[in-house]
Amino acid sequence: MKKTKKEKKTANPEQKVILNIPDEEVWDYKIEGLAAPMIGKTYKNYNLKKVLLAVAVVLVISLSFLFSVLTLTKDTFEYEALSDGTYKLTQFSNTGNIKELDIDFVSEVEKETVLEDGSVEVTFSKDETKPVTSIREYAFNCDEKIEVINIGAKVKEIDAKSFYSCWALQRIEVDEDNPYFCDVDGVLYTKDMKTLICYPINYDWYLAQENGFEKELWPGDEGYDEYKKANMTIVIPSTVEHIGDLALNYNALSDIYLPEGLKTIGNLAFFESTLTENIYSYKGESGQIIGADKISFADEDIYLSLPEGLESIGTDAFNYNRALSYMYVPSSVKFIGHHAFWDTVYKEDGDLKGVAYIDVAADESTFTGNVELGTDWLPHYDNGLFPKKIDVNYGATRKVIEK
Amino acid sequence: MSEKSGAFGKVKDFMTEVKTHWNTPKEGNYVPYKEYKDIFIAVGSNYAGSKMLEYISFGVGCFLIMHHYELPYLTYAIISLINMPLNYIGSLISWYVSDNLGFLPKKSERKVYATYFAFAIAGLTLLFWDPVTCMDINSSFVRFFNTLNGMSATAFFKIVGTHLLYTGWTGARNIFWRKKLIPKFGRYKYSLYCDFVPKSVMVILIGWLPLYNIPDMATRVWAANLLFACYNVFGFANNLETCTKSISPNTRERILVRTYPIKLSHLFHSIIAIIIPVIIGALKDEWADINVFRFVIPGMFITFATLTMFFAGRVQERIPQPPIEKKVQISFWDGMFGVLRNKYLWINTLVGLLDSLGNGMLAFTTVLYLYTFRLSGLPYSLIVALVSFAGTPPDFFTPYFIKRFSYKQIMIFYQLSRALGYTAIALALNFFGDNLVLCGTICVVVLIFMEATSTVPKSAAHDMNVRITDYQMYLSGERLENYSGVYSNAGIFSWFTGPITSFVGLIIPLILLTAGFNGNWDVLFIDSARFSIIIVPLIIEIVGYFLMTIPFMFWDYDSSKQEQVMQVLQRRAEVTEGLAKKEEQAVTVNAGKGD
Repeated sequence: MKKTKKEKKTANPEQKVILNIPDEEVWDYKIEGLAAPMIGKTYKNYNLKKVLLAVAVVLVISLSFLFSVLTLTKDTFEYEALSDGTYKLTQFSNTGNIKELDIDFVSEVEKETVLEDGSVEVTFSKDETKPVTSIREYAFNCDEKIEVINIGAKVKEIDAKSFYSCWALQRIEVDEDNPYFCDVDGVLYTKDMKTLICYPINYDWYLAQENGFEKELWPGDEGYDEYKKANMTIVIPSTVEHIGDLALNYNALSDIYLPEGLKTIGNLAFFESTLTENIYSYKGESGQIIGADKISFADEDIYLSLPEGLESIGTDAFNYNRALSYMYVPSSVKFIGHHAFWDTVYKEDGDLKGVAYIDVAADESTFTGNVELGTDWLPHYDNGLFPKKIDVNYGATRKVIEK
Repeated sequence: MSEKSGAFGKVKDFMTEVKTHWNTPKEGNYVPYKEYKDIFIAVGSNYAGSKMLEYISFGVGCFLIMHHYELPYLTYAIISLINMPLNYIGSLISWYVSDNLGFLPKKSERKVYATYFAFAIAGLTLLFWDPVTCMDINSSFVRFFNTLNGMSATAFFKIVGTHLLYTGWTGARNIFWRKKLIPKFGRYKYSLYCDFVPKSVMVILIGWLPLYNIPDMATRVWAANLLFACYNVFGFANNLETCTKSISPNTRERILVRTYPIKLSHLFHSIIAIIIPVIIGALKDEWADINVFRFVIPGMFITFATLTMFFAGRVQERIPQPPIEKKVQISFWDGMFGVLRNKYLWINTLVGLLDSLGNGMLAFTTVLYLYTFRLSGLPYSLIVALVSFAGTPPDFFTPYFIKRFSYKQIMIFYQLSRALGYTAIALALNFFGDNLVLCGTICVVVLIFMEATSTVPKSAAHDMNVRITDYQMYLSGERLENYSGVYSNAGIFSWFTGPITSFVGLIIPLILLTAGFNGNWDVLFIDSARFSIIIVPLIIEIVGYFLMTIPFMFWDYDSSKQEQVMQVLQRRAEVTEGLAKKEEQAVTVNAGKGD
């Protein structure tokens, strides 16, 4: 008789087999379709098998280990030859002792010498027939030792992410003959001074040393106010129109002055600038100035927050700027990237801290109609079970600087 | 009406059955319903406690490492390579000890103890003395290690020292506690009793010792490695659930226990998994807040661990096996050859080898939730809970699917569904990456599909592993779980696969390194970096899943074979017990004669 569909589905096709195993065969009984038990028996060619197994294991381990070591073995400098006969620096792996290096020609570490004071001197050999013209993204990613990088005359391409997370980097110096880039006291710009490319993460420590401080100070430390005044204020030159991607990420600046001609702020430009308390904008001309005491703008020439004329704010531009307390978006802004002000607000002891609201110059309909807004451009804060967005004051006027 | 009364009748019958068999099992079964209740609480607490420990690991996915230690990504692969040769020696001795349940001939035991003490002393020596002080700074050895990411020649010796100390310490503990506790608590539960207190202390220390403030990276690396090695000396795995895999010689009953009390017990963890992110979301720095590791995780862990210890004694282990004193003694080489004869372990091994293609991949969902969608607090909990809950309803149909489909079909389906799911996610990220809402919705729907289709195969895989060890017991007279590495992935097969997977495991970290991922997770806020960091490993993973279907085509161990294996094992247990009784009687008679 034909089985129904249901019967077919649920029937167990395997018939139960009852085994009849005599007592004396329990350790040897072989089940059909499976290998026979080997309990208390000697294997055929036992010794040969042992040797073969041992050899196979040693072979596999040795080969894999060799390949792994070869894969990991790196030169301190790795380059890629470019079609024009020049080279791109693709990866730098610090020996642990290199604090300063030149990026001009293909180089290698020649020797490391332990000096009497315990420090290590590194000498390099350079091949001057092989100029370096480009630096790859993440070439120095997460280096913790390098303090000074000297860019050669022929370097024409530096990726915004080249010096990403170079925690100890204090200065980037550029050869005066370089037609593409320049530096102002260790801060990297394009030669025309229109784009700020990189403000080194540990720049404040360089300044602090120059200004006679013996250690880095943090909020709450004795003498912090003095330290802040001397080392933690910057005026970005008036020529600058673009702040590049990641240009000032992880900076230790408390006060930043942006020029009124600034047009774009790049992605993650001020990412995790946790000490930045004030962003000002200024009118008129100025070069790069470091130190609050050296600034001499007239009161009417400076105002709070982002400059008039600014058009674009990149994604995550001010992410995690928790010391910041005020943000004003001028009417010229046409684009705000996703999460531009993310995590600039938080709750502490029940109070909102950081950017608790955003003032927007345009009215709501103009703003939402004209400005391209990325997802979650507004920050959220913990509000019981679900997070809440901060308020936006449309059609707002700028807050006045408190004297 | 009749349907209602029918359903009511069924419930009534079930209640009567539960009442009748509350203390004594049904005929043909071994587990009374009272033990179902105990399993529910004991396994639930043990599972939730062990899940708490998943927040703490010496790996890139741990939030403590991610936000506080910030170690370079490649360093973990380098450390595992350094430890690899020493692992061989360590595992050789440990299998021998463990698969003989710690009961070694006196002479062998003394030798093993001596080896372990020598390891520990050598380890301590390297930790307190730096051989690099006697080496040339320009030697290729020193230069090689100094240029490695997050490493230095000094750190290399400290890591070797740590591993030696760890091997010696854990090895000696293993023999000591096995001998003391296995006869009393059984082979699966014993470790809970000796590890509960020290593990709790280590969980507290992990959060409170500020080793992450060490400024030098290489020093931070070896110090963290040492701290986590000490933490790992003591285990608190999901032992009670492992114990329930052997709760009954009746395979149907095993599946029932796995499907109902065990699966329901995971509810403890599901609730905690919702509560924890809400608590953490209220902290100032959320996941990056050190208080997560100082208060939240230790508090939760110690609560569940204490509950576990309270109920652990009520879960029984019922493998048909000779009494411990009559167990088969396995020589080292017999153990090795024994597992190598197990065809199904070879299939597992091949699958594991192919699975290693994805080694070094970042936790995709962590990146998606925290960096793409920036979830925190309750929304994070709800999404995670929704996705993980998707696996629960299908699990109640596990017995049906296992009856309806062969394990081969189920496992092939599992691999293909993973490949399909990841392909859909890769396509969504590629084509709709700019639209966070659309891309996120697609990803979450696919994750739900993948979770829902994973529970039945996971149950099948668990049972397949139990069957493999049953089959091993048929082949060798012992389960040889440590030689085979069926649960730990650290057996003889790992001798071959370990070095290969270590090598393959370098591939993804090296790719990620060029894409910008090192020790700083913030790079994932860069859209282009995040895309490369997710998509490239995802493609490798997809290829791996397709390839993993091939070994399963050779799986032919069906229920009929399993039934026959169990019959053989039961007969062996009967015969051995009979012999033991006879010997006992003979001793009593002789003793009587002596009197």
